[in-house]
Amino acid sequence: MEYLTHYGPSLCVKLQGNLVYAGYGPFLHVHDLETGELINRCRIFRRNKIHGIAVNGEGALLLFGARSISIIGSKDASGCPDMSQDEKLLDEWIMSGQFSQTGDQTYLLTSYNKVLIRDLEGNVLATKGIDGEKSILYSGSITVFGPDKVLINAGTVMGGVLIWDLYEEELLHNLKGHEGSIFYVTISENGRYVASCSDDRSVRLWDLTTGDLLSVGWGHTARIWNLKFYDNSSKLVSVSEDCTCRVWKIVEDEESQASLEQKGVYEAHLTKNIWGVDVDSCGRKAITSGNDGRLKVIELDHPRIDNDEQSYTLQEIADQTGIIADKDEIIKGFHWFDFGLVAITSQGKIVLFESFNDTWTFLFTDDQFASYSSTHGISSDNVVVFANNKSDLLALKFDKDGKHVIAKTKMHVSDLTKTNNCMIRKESPTTFLVLLESPNPRENLVCMRFNLSTLEMEKTFSLKKPESFVSSCLEVYQHFLLVGSRFSTLAVFDLKKVECPAYLISKMTPGDTTTSIQFVEDLGDSQVFSVTNRDGYYTFIKIYLKGASRGDGKDYEIIQSNKIVRGFLEGAQFNAHGDYITHGFKSSLFYIYNETSCYEITSHICGGAHRQWKLCEDDKGSILVYIKASTLFFKRFNNSKTPETLCAGIHGREIRDITIRKQKKYKDGYLFCTGSEDTTIKLMHVNEQSGKMTNYWTQRKHVSGLQRCQFIKENLMISSSAREELFLWELNTEGDSRPYIALRQSLPVSSNLPDLRIMDFDVKFLGASQNFILATVYSDSTIKVWLYDSEQNTFTTIINGDYKTCCILNVFLTPICDQLFLAIAPTDGHLIFYNITEHIPFEIDEKSGELIDNDLDLSLMDLPDYDCRLEVHQSGIKCMSHVLEQGNELFIYTGGDDNALGITIAKLDAATGKLNARVLDFQPQAAASTMTSCSLISNGTKLLTTSVDQIVRLWDITENKLIKHSSEYTTIADTGCSDAVQTKDTRHLALIGGVGLSALRIDL
Amino acid sequence: MGKSSKDKRDLYYRKAKEEGYRARSAYKLLQLNDNFHFLDDPSLKRVVDLCAAPGSWSQVLSRKLFEGSDQQDRRIVAVDLQTMSPIDHVTTLQADITHPRTLQRILQLFGDEPADLVISDGAPDVTGLHDLDEYVQQQLVMSALQLACCVLKPKGSFIAKVFRGRDIDLLYSQLACLFTHVTCAKPRSSRSTSLEAFVVCQGYQPPADWTPKLDPSQSVQQFFQHCLPNGKHIAPFMACGSLESFDSDATY
Ligand SMILES: C[S@@+](CC[C@H](N)C(=O)[O-])C[C@H]1O[C@@H](n2cnc3c(N)ncnc32)[C@H](O)[C@@H]1O
Repeated sequence: MEYLTHYGPSLCVKLQGNLVYAGYGPFLHVHDLETGELINRCRIFRRNKIHGIAVNGEGALLLFGARSISIIGSKDASGCPDMSQDEKLLDEWIMSGQFSQTGDQTYLLTSYNKVLIRDLEGNVLATKGIDGEKSILYSGSITVFGPDKVLINAGTVMGGVLIWDLYEEELLHNLKGHEGSIFYVTISENGRYVASCSDDRSVRLWDLTTGDLLSVGWGHTARIWNLKFYDNSSKLVSVSEDCTCRVWKIVEDEESQASLEQKGVYEAHLTKNIWGVDVDSCGRKAITSGNDGRLKVIELDHPRIDNDEQSYTLQEIADQTGIIADKDEIIKGFHWFDFGLVAITSQGKIVLFESFNDTWTFLFTDDQFASYSSTHGISSDNVVVFANNKSDLLALKFDKDGKHVIAKTKMHVSDLTKTNNCMIRKESPTTFLVLLESPNPRENLVCMRFNLSTLEMEKTFSLKKPESFVSSCLEVYQHFLLVGSRFSTLAVFDLKKVECPAYLISKMTPGDTTTSIQFVEDLGDSQVFSVTNRDGYYTFIKIYLKGASRGDGKDYEIIQSNKIVRGFLEGAQFNAHGDYITHGFKSSLFYIYNETSCYEITSHICGGAHRQWKLCEDDKGSILVYIKASTLFFKRFNNSKTPETLCAGIHGREIRDITIRKQKKYKDGYLFCTGSEDTTIKLMHVNEQSGKMTNYWTQRKHVSGLQRCQFIKENLMISSSAREELFLWELNTEGDSRPYIALRQSLPVSSNLPDLRIMDFDVKFLGASQNFILATVYSDSTIKVWLYDSEQNTFTTIINGDYKTCCILNVFLTPICDQLFLAIAPTDGHLIFYNITEHIPFEIDEKSGELIDNDLDLSLMDLPDYDCRLEVHQSGIKCMSHVLEQGNELFIYTGGDDNALGITIAKLDAATGKLNARVLDFQPQAAASTMTSCSLISNGTKLLTTSVDQIVRLWDITENKLIKHSSEYTTIADTGCSDAVQTKDTRHLALIGGVGLSALRIDL
Repeated sequence: MGKSSKDKRDLYYRKAKEEGYRARSAYKLLQLNDNFHFLDDPSLKRVVDLCAAPGSWSQVLSRKLFEGSDQQDRRIVAVDLQTMSPIDHVTTLQADITHPRTLQRILQLFGDEPADLVISDGAPDVTGLHDLDEYVQQQLVMSALQLACCVLKPKGSFIAKVFRGRDIDLLYSQLACLFTHVTCAKPRSSRSTSLEAFVVCQGYQPPADWTPKLDPSQSVQQFFQHCLPNGKHIAPFMACGSLESFDSDATY
């Protein structure tokens, strides 16, 4: 077994010049801060995790974690893949480590508040400590002020912070005030302050000299794990279980009394826990490392609480330009360009703002556009279009600098009695379209083509407006016009066939205004568009624009649907890296979010959703323009020159199940899904050679932590969890850019018990059709069998029953001869077999074991009594695999909570017609802890198992005996699931999940 | 959905309410006893309950040792960091079990007589850093074991909560050189999704040449340096409580 990659929590991060060091389990990752590039990944320890990193003057690194330590040079860190031969093991747990001032000694603080002074070879020169308390520490740090002045800062379990002098071995302070364990304590470089944080969610600032409590910082909503002083000890960052990083300013009043003021909040990680933080030497960037494995770069100059935006009232604009603003005159519309902004007032005054020198100029007044008007633009071509409600249009084109109007068109559209909506969109490099809509439902939509350079109108199309349609957004693809509406409906018009009514796609999501439509990719016979809805749903629709259809008469298909984390969704598009970027409002904020990697790129307090706002792009980034309390605001979001994350990360919490799509390769590896305690499912890809993993989508349909996910066919996947949630997903891999995954159907629920979990499921397809029967087992001992009808897209219960009262952990369906059996494994350690042949409306082909549909009537049957019940394990059977040999011998491999592994054989008894089962082999001590997963590999000759003892074991099972073949320590804690795929004759790729995810290569 | 809301729906939680126990943990001890019968021994006199708050194990002890008969020479001492409201026949100590002074106080209460049984249900605050949590839990178990070594009579028993994570076999090995029987027991009232289990150690038999003594300046490692395990040992597993008892993983 060969380790390929490890993804998972990063416990610590250290910045050194332009290098970022981060500990990932036993591995050290070295990144370039500017480019984000991963320079090296170096194995430091064999088993233990890196909890902390210190650097000396020469750039050598001291790495420590649990009982391990290592000192390595910067060259090795940046170039060598494995330095674990240098690992040294100590008797005690190391809470903190630091180099001496000269860099030739190290100080190691143990969990029992002792400090070992060692030379770089590891010889212990002295052991220091203080008398008294021997309680265990929860945290600690070491501050070096000089060769013989070193302070030890220890955080205890009981809420006390112990500050002691290393060489004097003298306790300076026992700082009391926190409640609960202390999770971090540090001293400022200038020697004035101590900062501590704890279980009680507060940050406390103390005076190092007097030991007085100076200030308590409240804000975090969960435990706080780490702190760092920066900016000449004038600021402090804290990171917490609540996934935020907060900035505190140490404010001194006249009497030099210092207090903490919260200056910024950054939501940096997913679901739970930021462990590490460091700040660069100029105090501009912080890097945080979290349980989700993300390394997030935070620009400290752009906190969410800031005033870094420009604003102008109309009076201020009037003062600059010399126009006279009426008392109730307001800004009605605006559009942003590379050169600045063009705006119109409610009196029809058109003004221009040049951003390079922040000056306003008055252009002219057009009375016709007074009171009601709307403003749109095409930023790339410096074109702005004003429309009023009397169907007049005014279009202006500016030169590059916005100094001159180089084309102008004004016209009246007589086809409409009134206009209440105008939208524009670039159609081709030389043309754009304007779509006008009348409030009168009987009037047509008017679409006009304009020349982008001359602004001459080239053509008008009159399009029949669909019933109860109020347009809200527009996209143009070739000669097709896609118009979104208020009620989550999309109309497709063919400009070459204007006489044909629009093709309508209705109710794509629960239904709110469609806020954007974007062309994504061409699949040949069809095209993919991304559609966003204000209610937070986004969908990707594949539309057969050119009239082909998917065969069942439908002209479109939803191939991706999902809901954003929270707030209103106003638009989305792919960036240059292929990441899907969404934007919108949530509570009082405007946000921009990277949906592919699940992090907020930026957010800005703007008071919440506004009537008048626009997000425009220019060469420097994007700019949010909005009006609040009749003041115009510009907020610029510059494109970050450096990466926003150095490592994207995976789930924020434990991975509960993994399923690889084994049926078919995708690009240079395989697609797989992970289901996590954090309630999401990720669709990812693993490179077969390198084990590198890429995330495509994070599906948020489940509301409780995942139990299971399983590909049941090349294009179908099922996931299940508590609240009886079971979803059938459909995968689409037609496109070149990325796969898509959409919900096809949900299983009906029977109760509203939040704790009723679907623990496992299995399916059996009806021949080659897409129809299947599905067995589901529940935490209340219920067993159900359903029929899924693909054409109707329905689930119907066909068998219902229960085992006893205990929780059923596993299930499978298997034919034996011409009978169909359902086997379950509950928490009582038994295997139970039900013969359900007479209880399903199908027959079983004796030769192939396939279900045959003889058009029997569907009816709901009770679960029959079981054929056979066999005790295999003492307690819960946690994992189970099976294989049918010669159509009549069923072998079942089970792993239990009792640390054991068993092989059971089941056969039909010719005399009684009942199934008989017996245990063939049983290893009571197969692992040191609970068995969590088992998979058959290598054509059923080997069994791969995982256990919470963090050992992956491979068993030879050819002789119907469990013979240990090999084993390998896994760096994934709480090892809970695995899946494996045969990639070549003798080669397998295995994925191991738990607190993190890793890829192994198995060569047999 | 917090943990507490789940606990409220738990049948053991409701049962504990009905039967007057302060916590559902009482059933873990009762189910362990169903298989090992350590509380049914009529000669059981002195018991130490470590990490005892809120006190349901002490309640079980109190009922088992004192109900029915009048037993003058029996004694239960319960220790916890937290305060505990009084329980009949139980002497409570608010103390840190990792602190050497705690041992003296227990011994005083027993009039320097050895204990027959030491039980510990200690659990530290879980941080989410698996290795640290496992370490702190093991330190707590080792502290309890240190105490047990100093107060137990020969053939006495020790029961402690453990988490069956990485390196649990090291702990089993350590226990195996102090007790004749070491079992890893999991009561059915403990959820199978949790790594919690209990080591049931019977037949205390310290090395003949070793007199355990708690010295404040010594680390746990130093304390045990004369009875170090050789080789790894996996304790046999035993599921406790009858199959008819409630399944803590089930939804009712
Ligand atoms: C799960 S509770 C015990 C429940 C108890 N057996 C019952 O049945 O009510 C764990 C207890 O361990 C205690 N504890 C943790 N560390 C301790 C220490 N070092 N000394 C004493 N008690 C400790 C906690 O205060 C907590 O009350």
